[in-house]
Amino acid sequence: MARPERSERGRPQRRRGMGRRKVCRFCADKGMLIDHKDGRMLASFLTERGKIIPARVTGTCARHQRHLTNAIKQARTLAMVPYQTVYPQ
Amino acid sequence: MADRRYETLLLIHPEQGDAGCKDLIGRVRGLIEGQGAAISQVQEWGVRELAYTIGRQRRAYHVLFEYRATPAALAEIERNLKLMEPVLRHLSVRQGENAPPAAARFAQAADAPAPRPVREADEPVAEGGETAPMAEGEGV
Repeated sequence: MARPERSERGRPQRRRGMGRRKVCRFCADKGMLIDHKDGRMLASFLTERGKIIPARVTGTCARHQRHLTNAIKQARTLAMVPYQTVYPQ
Repeated sequence: MADRRYETLLLIHPEQGDAGCKDLIGRVRGLIEGQGAAISQVQEWGVRELAYTIGRQRRAYHVLFEYRATPAALAEIERNLKLMEPVLRHLSVRQGENAPPAAARFAQAADAPAPRPVREADEPVAEGGETAPMAEGEGV
């Protein structure tokens, strides 16, 4: 399990809003690997337009977001995921 | 010079046909082995849809090579791949020494159903993270 009390470093502060705390999917599931060949998995971290979704939205931790970004950029070279999507299709 | 683990994914022009692709794969195999590299795995993914068109092609024949080579050998392999006209794209990536070999699941077409591990609600991480800071705040 990841460290649950990460907010301990700052002053104790109640979380705003009612949403559940986001968990990095790669930390939660060790079997889930970041691979530039896995276009389907990478596509789930892209918007419809093909932009990379920020970590603050997906909850991915900094380390995994870094690996993910690299993998997406490699996958774009290989046309596994799009650079952009043009509307209307 | 120590050799390293690499993987190279090739996109081959689909108009080569099956025989042309096999022929090209044989040539690339010869190229890699000619550099003194040891091929551990070759995966042929077949013709797959591309996310965007490359050279007016919507699809390409995908082949994955896994091998051990020296960095100098890789440079030579890359140089030769660039010269091969039917190769639309190629990307060589260094693999970790302990990384598992490329899983066959990537060979499936992107639209085929594949088991994807979705785990969100089966671990009470969220509750733990929420109650802990609150309890601490009351203590201070």
